[in-house]
Amino acid sequence: MSDNTDSVVRTARREALLVVGIWLAAIVYAISTCYRLGYSRPAAELKLVFGFPDWIFWGVVMPWVLGAAISWLFGAVFVRDAHLGEELSEETDELGLGG
Amino acid sequence: MFGISINLLAANETAPVGDIGYGALIALVLFIFASLWIGALANRATQKGSFMTGFFLGNRGLGAWALALTATVQSGGTFMGFPSLVYTHGWIVALWIGGYMVVPITGFGILGKRLAQLSRRTGAITVPDLFRSRFGSPTLGLVASLFILLYLSFMMFAQFKAGAIVMKLAWPGSGFLALAEDASSPLDTKYYIGLAVFSVTVMAYTLMGGFLAAVWTDMFQSVLMFFGVMVLLFASLYQVGGLENATQKALTNTGPGYVFGPGYDDPAMGPKIVEGKPIPRMAYDVDRPRDFLPLSLAISFFCVWVWGGVGSPAGLVRVMASKNTQVIRRSIYLLSVYNLGIYLPLIVICICGRALIPELPGKTDEIIPRMALLTTKDWPGGSLIAGFILAAPFGAVMSTVSSYLVVLSSGLVRDIYQRFLRPQATPTELRRAAYASMIFVGLVAIAVNISPVSYLQALIVFSSTGSAATFLFPALMACYWRRATVPGVLASMISGALTVLSLYLLGIFEITPEQRIGQLTGFRPYYLLNFDPFLWGMLTSITSGLVVSLLTKPPAESLIAKMFDASAEPTTN
Repeated sequence: MSDNTDSVVRTARREALLVVGIWLAAIVYAISTCYRLGYSRPAAELKLVFGFPDWIFWGVVMPWVLGAAISWLFGAVFVRDAHLGEELSEETDELGLGG
Repeated sequence: MFGISINLLAANETAPVGDIGYGALIALVLFIFASLWIGALANRATQKGSFMTGFFLGNRGLGAWALALTATVQSGGTFMGFPSLVYTHGWIVALWIGGYMVVPITGFGILGKRLAQLSRRTGAITVPDLFRSRFGSPTLGLVASLFILLYLSFMMFAQFKAGAIVMKLAWPGSGFLALAEDASSPLDTKYYIGLAVFSVTVMAYTLMGGFLAAVWTDMFQSVLMFFGVMVLLFASLYQVGGLENATQKALTNTGPGYVFGPGYDDPAMGPKIVEGKPIPRMAYDVDRPRDFLPLSLAISFFCVWVWGGVGSPAGLVRVMASKNTQVIRRSIYLLSVYNLGIYLPLIVICICGRALIPELPGKTDEIIPRMALLTTKDWPGGSLIAGFILAAPFGAVMSTVSSYLVVLSSGLVRDIYQRFLRPQATPTELRRAAYASMIFVGLVAIAVNISPVSYLQALIVFSSTGSAATFLFPALMACYWRRATVPGVLASMISGALTVLSLYLLGIFEITPEQRIGQLTGFRPYYLLNFDPFLWGMLTSITSGLVVSLLTKPPAESLIAKMFDASAEPTTN
């Protein structure tokens, strides 16, 4: 990576990697929890949490609410604002592609 | 079986079989006028600046609400296909849609900022535009626009039919709002009137206001939907006496599969006849219930929703149109609240639905309209309230169509007409071309729908997974990888697309045996090793993108510097 890399590119790349991490954590947690607690159990074992089957509550509802909180933290705190640059005027074709 | 369940419905009075009076029609007519008015407003806003950026990209002025509520996948399916799945298979569908918990972060956090910057640096108006300028390759732009035209056409044609059918069934006396893909129901004059009204409305406001009209109607519909869902949520919970009751009653109405994975499958409602066509059963699986969501598909869908949202061309364009980084940041948390308020409540409503309406043979797509009627029937003005809730699917379909009209027309005008046919086109010519292409696309869609397509929902899933497998990795390469080359990106696009396409062809033409997993439909893919084609598409797209890029000549340093390095021009802040 050249040292001259634009700061937007750098912060955006860092944020993107964090987001991929969040996604990985979500998929591993949600699916392992649901699979462990919710697949192929006899009906007699049904436990409800606030009316949700327990595995749906712990595996989907809870992380979903947590996900909303993380989204807020991410959007409000972590993402850096940046100037996105000026609009290229439409008639100029800097790349000379004949467009 | 069929006869018995109809008697049951008539006997226990819980399922309203009557029609919905004028409520739905009034709501739809109001909706149509509101959309036309929004189109006219957008027309005024579009007048500033250049025609192309204004008409196709709203002068890059989208605010946070507009971006949050319109950029992600939300079509007629949200109110038809998805509720039907919950009603049919039970709580497992919460896990099926669970990927949405991170969609707001992934949708804007991965490509958002960088894409918005890149599209300004290149002056790109469309997604193919962006690829073309970022890699300095007209070929790449052309290939991208051909793929977009292909996927979006599929998507559009399916949506036109849905719109026409909602219109048709909203007529008083038409019986129930049936959004089911019911091939046996004869198409009549009402369908054609519906098709005409729907098409004229959508084309009229999209022609007037272009991109902004599409975005604003989408936003209007999303807000309406949010309130509709909230009202319906409380009404349903009240009627059934709390969620605990709902889950228990739904369980007694079905079987243990309804509250556990991999999901409930009622053999009586089962897969013998699908969309009027018998599905051959394999000898070994006659007694085996269908596994709606085995572990492999649970993993698949957690990827499909998330990455499908990041890679959809219509979504990418909205990010390109966002005003600044504050807008992108705020969209992340606005959307996370919005999604939380739509998807989980819809699941709860449909579980209540299964408790209140024990069976809906062959008409599970009607669960939301039926719940709307059932829960509001004793309210003053209940029919109108129900009408507005019913207008939601219509609005969702309409706004989806208009945003595809814009993307398709921008593809034809910008990427083909202006780039290849007539580079020197004047603004007036471009404007005429834009209108002509929109009318052309609309007319083709109408022509296709005179004898309408089946498999609406499955077509939508195919187009969105296909387009994501085609564009997601190339977009990531464009944004973040200096070493990405033109042949690499081409290889990535084409291999991703071909993989998804061939797995679908294997399934549709029944070359491979029916697998008793996933959603029941005739337009089914072959789930290789039980995983969705999307995962295989991504795998080939990523591999070929990386390998071919590394094997080919590195891109010119001057081009890369322009795209990646701090700009020489003085920044204004």
